[in-house]
Amino acid sequence: MASGDLIVGLEIGTSKICVVVGETRPDGTLKILGVGQAPSRGVRKGEIVDFETAMKCVHEAVVDAEQKSDVMIRSVYVGVAGGHIQGFNNRGCVMLPEDRDEIDDQDVDDVKVNAREVSIPAQNAFLHSIIQHYHVDGQDGVLNPVGMLGQKLEADFHIIHGVRTRIQNTIRCVKELPLEVEDVVFGALASAQVVLTQHQKNLGALVVDIGGGTTDYILYVDGAVKQSGVLAIGGDHITNDISMGLRIPMARAEKLKIDEGGCVLGNCLPGETILLKDDSGFAGKEIERETLNTIIHLRLRETFELLKRTVEEEPFINYVGAGIFITGGCSLLSGIDHLAGEIFEMPAHVTHAQTLAGLTSAVENPQFATAIGLLKYAQAVQIDRPRGGITRIFGRLFNRMR
Amino acid sequence: MIQLSKNYSLPERQEEPIPIKVVGVGSAGSNALDRVLLDGMDKNDLIAVNTDVQSLVSSVAARKVQLGRECTRGLGTGGDPELGYQAAIESADELRQSIAGVRMIFICAGLGGGTGSGAAPIVAQLAREAGSLVIAFATLPFSFEGKRRAAQAQDALARLNEVANAVICFENDRMGDMVAPKAGIHQAFGVADMTISQSVRSIVNLIQRPGLIRIGFDDLFAALRTQNGRCLFGFGESDSDNRAHDALTQALKNPLMDKGRMLSEAAHVLVQVAGGPGMTLSEVEILMRELGKHVRDHTQIVFGTAVDGKMGNRLAVTIISSLASEDSNAPQSTPPIPEPFLAPPPAALEQIEPPPKIDPPSVAAATYGAAGVQPEPEVVPQAERSPDDSIPFEQPQPVAAEAPQPLPMPSIRKPAPRLIPPKKKPVIEKESKPPQEKYVHAKQEMMQFEPITRGRFEKSEPTIVEGQDLDVPTFLRKNIKVK
Repeated sequence: MASGDLIVGLEIGTSKICVVVGETRPDGTLKILGVGQAPSRGVRKGEIVDFETAMKCVHEAVVDAEQKSDVMIRSVYVGVAGGHIQGFNNRGCVMLPEDRDEIDDQDVDDVKVNAREVSIPAQNAFLHSIIQHYHVDGQDGVLNPVGMLGQKLEADFHIIHGVRTRIQNTIRCVKELPLEVEDVVFGALASAQVVLTQHQKNLGALVVDIGGGTTDYILYVDGAVKQSGVLAIGGDHITNDISMGLRIPMARAEKLKIDEGGCVLGNCLPGETILLKDDSGFAGKEIERETLNTIIHLRLRETFELLKRTVEEEPFINYVGAGIFITGGCSLLSGIDHLAGEIFEMPAHVTHAQTLAGLTSAVENPQFATAIGLLKYAQAVQIDRPRGGITRIFGRLFNRMR
Repeated sequence: MIQLSKNYSLPERQEEPIPIKVVGVGSAGSNALDRVLLDGMDKNDLIAVNTDVQSLVSSVAARKVQLGRECTRGLGTGGDPELGYQAAIESADELRQSIAGVRMIFICAGLGGGTGSGAAPIVAQLAREAGSLVIAFATLPFSFEGKRRAAQAQDALARLNEVANAVICFENDRMGDMVAPKAGIHQAFGVADMTISQSVRSIVNLIQRPGLIRIGFDDLFAALRTQNGRCLFGFGESDSDNRAHDALTQALKNPLMDKGRMLSEAAHVLVQVAGGPGMTLSEVEILMRELGKHVRDHTQIVFGTAVDGKMGNRLAVTIISSLASEDSNAPQSTPPIPEPFLAPPPAALEQIEPPPKIDPPSVAAATYGAAGVQPEPEVVPQAERSPDDSIPFEQPQPVAAEAPQPLPMPSIRKPAPRLIPPKKKPVIEKESKPPQEKYVHAKQEMMQFEPITRGRFEKSEPTIVEGQDLDVPTFLRKNIKVK
């Protein structure tokens, strides 16, 4: 049984649903108590398309996690993804009244509200507003302006938003179980919490979480989030390509991708083949490894190139010093780091969640990076918050997430 | 029925192994011997030969020969091949004694140093004079050991090539590829020794294992026939579910194979598949089909298979081949046994003689005798067709005239290098080129009738970026043919 505060992260992925149960200990460390997972159905490209089925799968995963960690799960932090999620930067500004020149908490809150007064599409809702830096009377790089003297307070925020109804679908799916939703967190933001160290965030890093249905990315420069977004391409697309290219069933293609897939060309023996054993409803087949790798390579190359073009729309990628960090289930494909490194022309690493206590074997699987990241995110948020049941309103600000 | 099966298995059981010896020359050689012993060879089959007494004392071999008692006085040669050569000459009698009466001799030596480079060719020569078959396993030094050593090694290799029946040459640089970059240097050397040991073991097994389809010396030499060429060797063993595939993959991964790429240039490939009683025909078929993809159509595959109860669940594949060097090998061909050490080996010859008479399916018949007793269609007609070729080889060999037995050895060896390639090559060119041209002409762009499909994303919201539907497989959109 858990002795400290229980935190549960739930990620409804395209290929699997995973629930990570952790507890925060009094000394501030996070311990993972258990991991539950279930194969996902009714989810395409990170979004729920079949409500009933998806709900059953979430239930399965939650029950699995409860059994493994021996706790009752009442509330969860939910990770969301989907092609509709976007991020952009905005600057908010407040002028202090003439008779006062010391900045207080109220001014900081005001500037946040101000920064959010931007037009996002009507059907969209804010997911996160993440502070980058404050400016006091034009002075750059202020981290905490409270108590400083000045007349004009500005703040740069990175705002992540998505289509309200689609995000609500995810929330509803969890609430029907019934579980309480503590918060909704953008997947890549959660992953970045456990994949990157503070030092790497300061140096500048691009986290790419390639999951089953989507590729989420988030870019840090100077310790602050500068860019984020989602491409609705993921491991499913690779599987689909393999299935169509080699004319084998999807389930076979998925297994083949996981067991044998690689994305480096010219690295296998000439004529090297993989033998697929026959099965009921499937006559055995022999597949050339180079063909398989070519299919995977082409898809991943295209995805990375698209991602590169997307992040290059803004100049921040040039300030990335630590390189690219690839996580998520697809990062297990061999050679993916070489491919990413070649396309982005910077060092690329395949990583997983770092520095946590408890079930370290779960931590080392990049598939769980987002779910574990949710715990870390929740922990960071809870430190700032009085304990107790404040009803959480969807779209609430969490300004300390950096 | 029971009787029949008994009879059937009898000849195999009675077979006695061919006497063999593994000789390690120099300290690299004795390191290799250590490994060979660890891998299950009998101690009594090993002979350590060295100038350095210290190294000799620590060797595991049952028989040890110190070279050059006078000229090196128990010290090493200090990297001087000349000294190694003299030391070997000095101890020639002792060497001759130690290898007397042995049918097959494996010489392991690290070339580049003094003893290995200087003495190994002499040992090979003495062994040939004694009527043995000599297969030399030579390692070439790492390139960082310097050009001088490399040159010495090449010299010695050339001389070994002249005297030995076959030389299998391992380049240490290639061994490095097999070891993880972070592994210690001892591991790199260990891998070299291991590969040598594997080769020795698998060639011994190849010759000795009761074969359903037997591979004999003649086949072995046909595969190793080139002079100064590069020898390709691969060995793999597996007991997994997919053992045929796994064993072959492992064999192709051998550093001497360069991932199987080199196989595509070989003219002869010798393959032996050995397994326990559980080995099935379909496994062998899968394996050979897979191997077929690595070689060209005109490559001659010499195939052998053997069932050995000791193998249990495992299946082992041995692949041996060689690549010709650019310069044609015709002028150098077979090593005539050099004059200075002529010592008629009557004892050895008599030992060899009886088996073919008594028991045709026995070892000798299958090896030496194979060409004569069970004439393979290739060997015999070739020998007839090129009488002028075979004459020069017999002449420098006075021994040959005395006893009938040594004759087949050179004659088997000769026809193999000479006759097969010239016969094959014209055929290749005729056969392979026209179809290629045909293919080029026949190739035609296929028109796509099927509409482009989106597979499992058929019903989900399309991902359209920059005007392209990314749910459609990339290779289809880019029109890249993957099959």
